[in-house]
Amino acid sequence: MTDATPVSAPRLGQLWKTLEEPLQSPDRPLPARLAQAAVSWSGARGGTLYLREKDGWVRVAVAGVSELEGLDLPDPSSAVPVHRNGTLWVPLSAEGEIHGHLGLDGIGPEDSVELGAFLGFVLGGLLGAHRLSRLVKEADFEVRTRLVELESLYDLGLSLSGQLDIAALGDEVLFRSISLTDAGKGTLLLFHEDGRLLLERNLGGEFLPTQDLAAWNLPEGEAVINNAAATVPTAGVCLMSCQKCLVVPISVSGRRLGVLAVADKESRDGSVLDFTASNARILSLFANQAAAAIETARLHRAAIESERIEREMELAAAIQREILPHSLPEVSGVELAAANLPTRHVGGDYYDLFPLSRGRLGLLVADVSGKGVPAALLVSTVHAAVHLQIDEAKTVVDLVTRIDRHLRRYAATRKFLTLFFGLFEPDTGLLTYVSAGHNPALLVRGSGEIERLNSTGVPVGMFPGASWKEESVTLAPGDLLCVYTDGLTEAVNAAEEEYGLDRLSSFVGKGRAFPLRELCDRVLAAVADFAADMPQYDDQTLLLARRTENTGR
Amino acid sequence: MSEVCRVAAERRGDVAILSTDGYINNQGGEEIARQAYSHLESGARALVLNLEKTRIVNSIGISILIEVLEKVMDRKGKLAFCGLTPTIDKTFRIMGLAQYAAIYPTESEAVRAVSSP
Repeated sequence: MTDATPVSAPRLGQLWKTLEEPLQSPDRPLPARLAQAAVSWSGARGGTLYLREKDGWVRVAVAGVSELEGLDLPDPSSAVPVHRNGTLWVPLSAEGEIHGHLGLDGIGPEDSVELGAFLGFVLGGLLGAHRLSRLVKEADFEVRTRLVELESLYDLGLSLSGQLDIAALGDEVLFRSISLTDAGKGTLLLFHEDGRLLLERNLGGEFLPTQDLAAWNLPEGEAVINNAAATVPTAGVCLMSCQKCLVVPISVSGRRLGVLAVADKESRDGSVLDFTASNARILSLFANQAAAAIETARLHRAAIESERIEREMELAAAIQREILPHSLPEVSGVELAAANLPTRHVGGDYYDLFPLSRGRLGLLVADVSGKGVPAALLVSTVHAAVHLQIDEAKTVVDLVTRIDRHLRRYAATRKFLTLFFGLFEPDTGLLTYVSAGHNPALLVRGSGEIERLNSTGVPVGMFPGASWKEESVTLAPGDLLCVYTDGLTEAVNAAEEEYGLDRLSSFVGKGRAFPLRELCDRVLAAVADFAADMPQYDDQTLLLARRTENTGR
Repeated sequence: MSEVCRVAAERRGDVAILSTDGYINNQGGEEIARQAYSHLESGARALVLNLEKTRIVNSIGISILIEVLEKVMDRKGKLAFCGLTPTIDKTFRIMGLAQYAAIYPTESEAVRAVSSP
C-alpha cells in the first residue's frame, strides 16, 4: 500500500464521484476511462497512462488536452510519486505490485504528495483488479480453447468414422484444421495412387500447387512449419501467396495419400503470427484421423464398386441363360450337341438352333464384342432379330443383312458381333453358310480330313453397307460340323500359350466317332485341362452337328 | 461459403438481425462488431446473430463475439444466436458464449425470444 497522507473527506468523495461514471460507462476501455477521470479530478492539463503488459510497459491511454500526445515514461521501477519537468508520475500499485504509471501534466509540486498518494492507492487497486480479471479471462479462454481442440478431435473421429463421401470428409477435416489453428487459409489435397489429383479443397484462396505428391519432400508422419514461406520453399515446394505455413502429410501405412496445409495464422491486431509446435501437433492428429477415414471411405467405395460389378455380372449371366436354348431340337438326319461355359466375367456368346420348314435346320453361333450387361443386352437384341427375321429371310445372306440392319436400328450401344449362320438340309447334306468375321468353323469329314470354313465377310454391325458372301459345302453322313467361339481357342495356360485352332482341330478330328454329347464334354474338359488353374475371361461355346443317315420325316 | 465474411443486417424494431456468410475470423468478427455497435448506438436493444451460412469460426472470431456479448450485457441488452452448425454450437457452448447468450435453431425463434414483450 502507498504511504498515504491523510486526505480530506470531501476530496475523497469528489474523487469517487468522478470515478463513478467512467466505471459504469461501457463505451471505452477501463484504463482510458480511469485516465480521463484522474485528469479531470486532479485538474491536470493532460495525462498519460502506462500499463505493464507481457512485452513490457505499454502506453494505453492519453487524456486531457488535445495537443498532448503522451509523455515518455521516465522510470518504470519507481515505487513512489516523482515530480519531473512539470509532470507528476504516479506509480499505480496494489498488493506491492506496480500495475501502471500515470503521468499528470501541469500539476504543481505542492499538490504532488497528496495527489500521488490518492491516485496511487485508488487507481492502483482498480487497475490491479482489472488486470487480474483480464488474466483470469485470458486463462479461461485458453483452457476453453484447449477443450475445444480435444472435443474437436473426438468429434472428428466420430464423424469421420461414418463419413464415406470423400469431399464431405475433406471439408470436415479442412474446416476444423483452419479453425483450430486460427489460419487465414487452408488446403487439403488428396491424390490417386498413380499421382493424379483426387480431391482439392481450399478455403481463403489457393496457396498450394496441385502437383504430384512426389514433389513434396515431407518427412513421414511429421508436420513441417515454415514461418518464412514467402521466401523459402516448404519441403522442397515453393508455395504461392502465403507468408507462413504449416504442412502435414496424410499417409496410411507409409502410403502417401495427400497433404493438409494451413497458412497465415491470424492475430487480433491483423498481423500474421508464427505457427507453433502446438499447432503442428493438432494438425498432425487431424491428418492421422483423416488418413484413416479416407482409407475407410476408399475401401468402402471399392467394395461397392465390386458389388455393383458382381450384380451386373449376375444380371448379364441371367439374361444369357434365358436366351440360350434350354434343350436341343430333334431334327431328323442330324445329331446335335452344344455347350456354353460362361466365365465369371460374362461375355456375349450366343448359340441357337432353328428347326425350319422342309426338315431344314438353322445353326447359329455368335460372339458379341464387350462384356457384362452391355454385351448381354446386345445378345438379347441379336436373339430378337434372328427370331423375328428368320422366317422372312430368303437366303442366309439376306438373314445376316437383316440382322445387321436390325442392330443398327435398335441396338442401344455401338457394338458388333461375329457370327456363323448355317442352313443345313439333312436330305441333301447341303450346308449353306455365312461366317461374319467368325473363327473358322471346322468340317470334319468321316475320313478324318478337316476343312476350315473361313470367314465370308466382316463382323455384323461393324461397317454400314457391309455385304457378306454365302458359301456352301455338302456333308456326307458321318461328317461333323464344329462351330465354336474364341473363348475355346484363346484359352491360355500358365505359360501364356493359347489352346489354339490346331489343338481343337486335332482333338475333334480324333474324337469324331464319339457320341456328340460325349465329344462336346471332352472338348471342354481338354481345354480346361490345358488352361489348368488359369482364370479365363471369355465365354466358351461349342456347337457340334453331325449328319446321320436320314431316317425320314 | 464465401472466403471473405459478409454480414447482412436487418432491423425489426429494437432487434437487429445480423446474418453472416463466411469464415468468422478476425475480419469477419470485426465486421460483425462494427455493425453490432452501430445498431446498439442507434437504439437496438437486442441482437440476433444468424450464422446459417457460416461453417467456420476461429478463436479470434470468438473473442470478438465475446466482446460484442459483453457490450450488449453492459447495456442490459440481449444477444441470441441461431442457425449454428453442430460444430459451432458445441464450440460456443464450450467457450462460454452460451452462458449469457441463448442459442436457437431458427431466426424466428431467436427474434421472438429477444423481442420486448
